[in-house]
Amino acid sequence: MSSTCTNLCDDLVILNQWHAIAAIEDTSSAPSHTRLLGEQLTYCIVDETVRVCRSDADTLPLPVTCAYGYIWTCLGTPLPLFELPEYLESDRTNVCAASIGVRVSAPRAVENFLDMGHFPYVHTGILGEQPHTEVREYDVEVTEDTNEVIATRCRFYQPQAAAGAEGGMLVEYVYRVPHPYCSVLYKSCPDDESRMDVIALFVQPMDEINVRAHALVSVIDKNSAPIAIRMFQQTIFGQDKPILENQLPKKLPLDPRAETPIRADKSAIVYRRWLSKQGIRYGVIPAAA
Amino acid sequence: MQAKHTLITLYDYELSGNCYKVRLLLSMLNIEYTSQTVEFYPAQQHKTSWFKSINPLGTLPVLVDDDLTLKDSAAILVYLASRYDKSENWYPAGDAATLAKVTEWLAFADSITGSASQARLAEGFFYQLDAEACRASAHQLFRILDEHLWFAEQQNQPWLVSGAEPTIADIACFPYVILSEEGSIMRQDYPAIRRWTDRIKRIPGFTVMPGVFPAGPAQTT
Amino acid sequence: MNLQLAKQQWQPIAASTDLIPRHVFHAQLFGRELAVWRADDGHVNAWENRCLHRGVRLSIGINDGRELVCQYHGWRYANRTAGCTYIPAHPADAPARTICNNQYPVIEKDGLIWSCMADDQPEYSSTGFLSGEKLVLRSIPVNATVDVLLEQLTDHADNRDNINLQSTNPHATHVSLSINDQHDNHQIDFFLQPVDSHRTVIRAILSGVQSNTNESDKLHNLYRYNTTLTEIRELAENEMQRLETPEPWEVVIKPVSELLAHMPEASNRANGLLRVKVASTDNTATAIKSLELVSIEDQLPTFHAGAHIDVHLPNGLIRQYSLTNAPGQTDRYIIGVKRESHSSGGSSYIHDSLKIDDVIAISAPRNNFPLRRDAVKTILIAGGIGITPLLSMATAMHHSAQPFQLHYFVQGEDHQAFSEVLSRFETSLIVHTALDPAETQSRLNEILQDYQDAHHVYVCGPGPMLDATRSIAEKNHWPDNSVHFEYFKNTQTQDDTVPFTVSLARSGLTLQVPSGRTLLEVLRENNVDLPSSCEQGACGTCRVAVTAGEPLHQDVYLSHTEQQRGDCMMTCVSRAKTDSLTLDI
Ligand SMILES: N[C@@H](CCC(=O)N[C@@H](CS)C(=O)NCC(=O)O)C(=O)O
Ligand code: FES
Ligand SMILES: [Fe+2]
Repeated sequence: MSSTCTNLCDDLVILNQWHAIAAIEDTSSAPSHTRLLGEQLTYCIVDETVRVCRSDADTLPLPVTCAYGYIWTCLGTPLPLFELPEYLESDRTNVCAASIGVRVSAPRAVENFLDMGHFPYVHTGILGEQPHTEVREYDVEVTEDTNEVIATRCRFYQPQAAAGAEGGMLVEYVYRVPHPYCSVLYKSCPDDESRMDVIALFVQPMDEINVRAHALVSVIDKNSAPIAIRMFQQTIFGQDKPILENQLPKKLPLDPRAETPIRADKSAIVYRRWLSKQGIRYGVIPAAA
Repeated sequence: MQAKHTLITLYDYELSGNCYKVRLLLSMLNIEYTSQTVEFYPAQQHKTSWFKSINPLGTLPVLVDDDLTLKDSAAILVYLASRYDKSENWYPAGDAATLAKVTEWLAFADSITGSASQARLAEGFFYQLDAEACRASAHQLFRILDEHLWFAEQQNQPWLVSGAEPTIADIACFPYVILSEEGSIMRQDYPAIRRWTDRIKRIPGFTVMPGVFPAGPAQTT
Repeated sequence: MNLQLAKQQWQPIAASTDLIPRHVFHAQLFGRELAVWRADDGHVNAWENRCLHRGVRLSIGINDGRELVCQYHGWRYANRTAGCTYIPAHPADAPARTICNNQYPVIEKDGLIWSCMADDQPEYSSTGFLSGEKLVLRSIPVNATVDVLLEQLTDHADNRDNINLQSTNPHATHVSLSINDQHDNHQIDFFLQPVDSHRTVIRAILSGVQSNTNESDKLHNLYRYNTTLTEIRELAENEMQRLETPEPWEVVIKPVSELLAHMPEASNRANGLLRVKVASTDNTATAIKSLELVSIEDQLPTFHAGAHIDVHLPNGLIRQYSLTNAPGQTDRYIIGVKRESHSSGGSSYIHDSLKIDDVIAISAPRNNFPLRRDAVKTILIAGGIGITPLLSMATAMHHSAQPFQLHYFVQGEDHQAFSEVLSRFETSLIVHTALDPAETQSRLNEILQDYQDAHHVYVCGPGPMLDATRSIAEKNHWPDNSVHFEYFKNTQTQDDTVPFTVSLARSGLTLQVPSGRTLLEVLRENNVDLPSSCEQGACGTCRVAVTAGEPLHQDVYLSHTEQQRGDCMMTCVSRAKTDSLTLDI
């Protein structure tokens, strides 16, 4: 039996966020349908204008913004969308890599994105490989000015760090969580040591326990064709999917005693606290007061 | 011995279960090949005129071996096993009844594709399909499959078709069974199917695809 | 129907034949999902279907015969104890012993696997089956409530002359029918397993089957009742169409302990003693006796390769011995004891007086010599009885097909212990016999030739050999943190003459340690409870962190680098170079 969740969202923090719903390049003048926070939406691009509205009635168009290759909309009063300045750097290739459906809550998907410990087991031979399983010490903080979770000094041994990489290396990562359901990672770039490749995850909450995971890949890689980048990312998402779909409970439990963290999970711990602090209830099991 | 010939080309999409059938057998038979990616989702490259000139049906997989271009995963499995498997276990052409049984399961595999795979396309790739109806038919098929496998186990038969070795019937049915949970078709109620999938994962040359976990080693002694 | 009573009873969750080797069965009872697996030793485990780490279902995990491995981050959980034995993200740490999955009681009887969700389980009592052979029918999962199924089963019996309803039990998940036709006189006992509010598995046992029934008749019976039950399923599911589907049962997941929620450093505190019985002994080599210890009451605790226990002998002596078996072998501890030539009554007691079936007390295992499993190459070097912890490591790596080399230095062939286990390692085992010290050194030099990143060496043996190995490793550019060692005892000369002062940062105490007393003794006297084991600076159990002052190290546990860093010390032997020290306790 499939479980879709029909509750409408009354979590104002989530309601007032922008949420990515589709890649601009995958959208045409023919109306497409999707779900956001339990509501059915219709969207299309006509005469270079993006339109998004609720499907059930011809209500007013919803707010729309186009950013980072995706169409974003909001069911409340939108706050400004986070910055991703790298997207505009002229020598980057920006690829909308995948939009895959996953039966899990958005915060579980974000937490998986922040997690390095699973690389050797879930992305075997690509992002990690046994016996190189150690997660070295790293730093996590919540920035004061922008209120984002940031993890720095993350290092992990990877056999094939990116579509264009050859041979294993110790890869450096920085993670940002600038939005409750979005995360951006920066990783050392196989081509140019001074720059970082960027992979962003925009999770669209179809409802509390079903999402569309959208990926933006922004690389300084002259050799990888966009199709290779997309296939690489689809493989990674495809490997995470069955893990996420087998997590119990599907919503992210914020009570510290629900699961067992280890030092490698520092970023997840800070992320959970950060969600708690903002009073987020959608897609999570709040900690008992 | 076969004459030396150019490498086999597989028109392939990594997340496709039908392509996975072919990759599995290629790997189990230890056949070298090159893979030519066709982006099924979201780019729909299989609907382009370029691809339709290779396969007018616009479906994956397609296999090219020398002058021969083959579409349809079952046809490809039959071809690979008949041509390259010297043991003749994978497609036991010598015995009419066994061969017919293999063919019966190849048809069954297509029914699984028509239900379980469709549900997966609806859930993971947003195809506008009646996922609920697909799930219901998949469960009907899985009940039949589980019953068959349970009684086979009672008779010490590990595979779909009686005999000590697996056949292409197992390969054809495996992918969309093991990927079914991506279409919200749980396998908890099919213990014999779950054991059979473990056995398949232990066939030498088995490879995974995204969505499929490896099995641990079998017990020795 | 009220299933409260049924909840107090044993309910079937699987058939015995469902649990084939190296498989994980996915069960469910009263809404709660279980991962059920049989280890290679036959033991059946029924665990909450949820990895304690991040909640991933364990039914998708790997049963390696001794441990269950989670697919997400590779945490390993031991057979029987359900204790976590290894966390790959932190390969240098032995996991806190208390990380233990939720387990459910489980019994294997009458061809089925049973569990019970009550806090106090009643005795399991077998149903009154007919004599003769029993046949477990194919289980049929049905999308219907227990109630609807019961109704269909009783209707089925009522509508047939040859079938009589014998009994339904008070909580009504068990129905017994007798079937009499011209050649058969059978009884079928149905056990309706409440999977969820609207899902039930029919499990059934056919009894009264003649013992000489041949396979094809058995098969015939299996087919025949499978058809009947499939029909009943159809009727029940049709009936369900007319009813409202009840909400799934809610399952409350037990929170993990407060301690685990806060990422503690692995604690080595010994909690209470365990009573074990000597199940067997073996004179495995000249002057070496191995003991197999099994628990009397409780399950033995989980351990990690490299662990040791304190053995409390009836004569009052306490000795440390390494466990030689591998972490997933949870039904016993095996230790090896060498008769010391100048025994002060420990090893000689074990050799001369300890007998099979004697009961002794042991501590829970501690691990100050943990095996990392993230090495590209692992070299194990054993001298004499130093084989014991390395045997555990080698067995663990061998079982999970990780490459390693085990170098075993012995005086002569008759000194080689545990030959049977060792023979399994085939070419991974290299025995070096009767070498003099110079030859040993040159052999060690060959072994430690080319160090590369992620190579690790583990050494255990007599002091001089350890010293030699460490200095050869250093000469060959092995970094300190790749060289792991465990001394049996500390033979360095100890100086306890200089008094010093300690401040305890967390307890707010300041204490004087006079000459002739150890820091550990003074701490204990002042009710600062610290774990300890060997009390001679060899095992690492009494380690504390130092935040100010410079310790005078007299242990053989810390590496040179660790000693130089001066941020921790062994309280049982080490003292202070400065007048005072500040400790983080
Ligand atoms: N019977 C064919 C079916 C192949 C098939 O449906 N392939 C899918 C990909 S898994 C496909 O190409 N679908 C495109 C379409 O049906 O339009 C086979 O087994 O190869
Ligand atoms: S969830 Fe099981 S190891 Fe992390
Ligand atoms: Fe991942």
